[in-house]
Amino acid sequence: MTDPQVALLMLGLFIFVVLIGFPIAFTLIAMGLGFGYYAYAMPNQLENIFDNRIFNLFVQNTFSVMSNEILVAVPLFLFMGYVVERSNIVSRLFHSLQLAARRLPGSLAVAALATCTIFATATGIVGAVVTLMGLLALPAMLNAKYDVRYATGVICAGGCLGILIPPSIMLIVYAAVAEQSPVRLYAAALLPGAMLAGLYMIYVVARATFNPALAPKPPEEEIPPLPQILWQLLTSFVPLSVLILAVLGSILLGIATPAEAAGVGSFGALLLAVLYRSLSWDKLREAVFLTARTTAMVCWLFIGSWTFASVFSYLGGQTLIENWVLGAELDPITFLIVAQLIIFLLGWPLEWSEIIIIFVPIFLPMLDTFGIDPIFFGILVALNLQTSFLSPPMAMSAYYLKGVAPPFVTLMDIFRGVMPYLVIVLFAMVMLYVFPGLALFLPEWFFG
Amino acid sequence: MNRVLLFIDSLSMWMGKAFGWCIVVLTFATCYEVFMRYVLGAPTTWAFVMSIQMYGALLIMAGAYTLSRNGHVRGDMLYRYLPERGKAGIDLVLYIIFLLPGALALIWYGTQFAADSWRFKEVSWSSPARIQIYFFKTLLPLAGALVLLQGFAEICRCIVCLRTGRFPPRLHDVEETESMLIHQHENELERAQEQSGEKAR
Repeated sequence: MTDPQVALLMLGLFIFVVLIGFPIAFTLIAMGLGFGYYAYAMPNQLENIFDNRIFNLFVQNTFSVMSNEILVAVPLFLFMGYVVERSNIVSRLFHSLQLAARRLPGSLAVAALATCTIFATATGIVGAVVTLMGLLALPAMLNAKYDVRYATGVICAGGCLGILIPPSIMLIVYAAVAEQSPVRLYAAALLPGAMLAGLYMIYVVARATFNPALAPKPPEEEIPPLPQILWQLLTSFVPLSVLILAVLGSILLGIATPAEAAGVGSFGALLLAVLYRSLSWDKLREAVFLTARTTAMVCWLFIGSWTFASVFSYLGGQTLIENWVLGAELDPITFLIVAQLIIFLLGWPLEWSEIIIIFVPIFLPMLDTFGIDPIFFGILVALNLQTSFLSPPMAMSAYYLKGVAPPFVTLMDIFRGVMPYLVIVLFAMVMLYVFPGLALFLPEWFFG
Repeated sequence: MNRVLLFIDSLSMWMGKAFGWCIVVLTFATCYEVFMRYVLGAPTTWAFVMSIQMYGALLIMAGAYTLSRNGHVRGDMLYRYLPERGKAGIDLVLYIIFLLPGALALIWYGTQFAADSWRFKEVSWSSPARIQIYFFKTLLPLAGALVLLQGFAEICRCIVCLRTGRFPPRLHDVEETESMLIHQHENELERAQEQSGEKAR
C-alpha cells in the first residue's frame, strides 16, 4: 500500500468509527497517533518502540490549541451566552416585543422570530434558544390558535440564526481553522445574517397576510398604555441590544479583538443579570461549569483534528484528494456547489463543530486554485449549516422543540413547518453566490 | 465498585469545575486590560499571556470532567438506537484501544515536554513581562492523568453494563438548558397524566 492509500484508509476508518458513535475527539487523537506512528516510523523503529516523532507532534499540537489566541474568545462567548441564557432575559424580551408588534399580521410569530434573532445573537447556542422559546412562544401561539406548522417552523428557524449572525462562536472556530481574521469574518457575516433574518421575517409576515387563518389576531386583552410598553422595551430590548451592539461594534470598528470584546460582553451580561436580580450564586456556578464543559468539547476536537490533519497530509492524503478534485477539471461554480452539497449532507449526521473542525479543512487548501475567497466560502458554509439543524432526519432544533412541545405537536408537523425555511436558506445561498459583495463589501469597507 | 467509580467521577468533576473558574478570572483580566489600554492608555504586559493561560488551563483540565459527563460529542445517528449492551460493547473496545493510548502519550511525552520547560525555566515570548510557562505546560501530563483515570472509570462502567444490562449511575450535575427544560417538561406531562388517570378512576 502506498502512503496516500494509507491516508485514505485512515479517513475511511475515521468516518466508520464516527458513524459507530465513539466520541469524535478521542477517535481523532487515536487515528492520528496510530497512523502517525506508521507514517513517522524509522528504519530501526522496532528497537526503540517508544521513540517516534508523532508523540512529540501530538503534545505540541495539544499545546498549540492551548495557546491559540483566536480560540480564547470561545469560552468567553460561551460564558456570555450561558449567563444571558440563565438570567430570565428571554421572557422579558419576548413579552415586550410581542406587545410592540401586536398590530402586525402574525404578531406573535414576528415577536418570536425577533426574540430568537436577538437572543441567538447573544448566546450562539442553538438548543437553549429553541427550547426556551418552545416553552414561551409556542404555547402563546397555540393559545391564539396559530397553525401548528407555522408556529413551530418560525421557532426552529429563528433559533439557528445564532450560529450565523455575529458575534457567533462558529465563525471564531472557522477563523481558527482557516487561519482567517475573525474580525473580517464577522464583518462579512453581518449582511448575509441580516438578509436571512429579514427574509424569514418577510416570509412570516407575508404568510400571515395572505392567509390570516394561519395566525389569528390574539384576543384583545387589556393592552397596557403606550408608556408602559415603551418602558418594557427600554428595560428588556434595549439593554441586551446595546450589549450586543457594543460587543460587535468594538470588534468591527477595529477597537478590540474578539476575545477582548467577548470578555467585556461577558462582564456586561453578568452586570445585566445582576440588574435584573436574576444572578444567584447557583446560576453563576451553573454558567461556569457549563462553559468549562462546552469549551472542553470544542477544543478537544481541535486537539484531535490538528494531529489527525497533520498526519493525513503528511501521508499525502490531502494531495491525493486535491489531485483528484483538480483532475476532474471542475469550474469554480461546480466546485463550490459540490463542496456545499457535501457539507450539506454531512450536516445530517454531524454537528457544526465537527464539520467545521474536521471536514472543512479538506476543502480549504483548494480554494486558492479555484480563486475562491476563504471568507466568502466561510459565510456560505455558515449559511449552509443553518440547514444542518433544520433538515430531517437529524434536525436537532426540531427535536429540541419536540422535547418541550405539547404532546399533540408531532415531529412531522415540525419538519413540515421548517421546510419553507430550508428553501429560504437555499435562496439566500444563491443570492450570496450571485452577489458575493453581500459578504465581501463590509470587510473591505471596514478594513480595506 | 460503584464507590470507586463515583470517586473518580467526583475527582474529574471537582478538577474540571475548579479550573472552570478560570473563565471568571479570564473575564475580569480581559476587562481590566481593556480598561487599562483603551481608557487609561497604559496596557498591561501580563494580561494577554494570563488570558491565554487561563483559557488553556480551562480547556485541558475540563477534558476529563466532560468525559465524566459523557459530554464529548459523538456522531450518534446509529449509536442512540443501540441497546444499552451494544453501546457498552462498542465503548469498551474503543475506550481501551483509542482512549488509553492517547492519555498515556499525553502523560509520558507531556512530562518530558514539561520537564524541558522546567529545566530552562522557560518564559513566554509573547510578552516582555517574561511570564513563566512551565506551570502551564505541566498541566498537559496532569490532564492526561485525569483523562486516563476517567477512562478507567468509563471502561468499568461498560463492563458493569455488559454484565447487568444497565449503565451504573453517574453523579448529578448541571445540565444544558435544553436538556434541563426537556426533562422538566417530560416530568410535568407524566404528572398531568397520572392526575388525569386518577380522576378517571
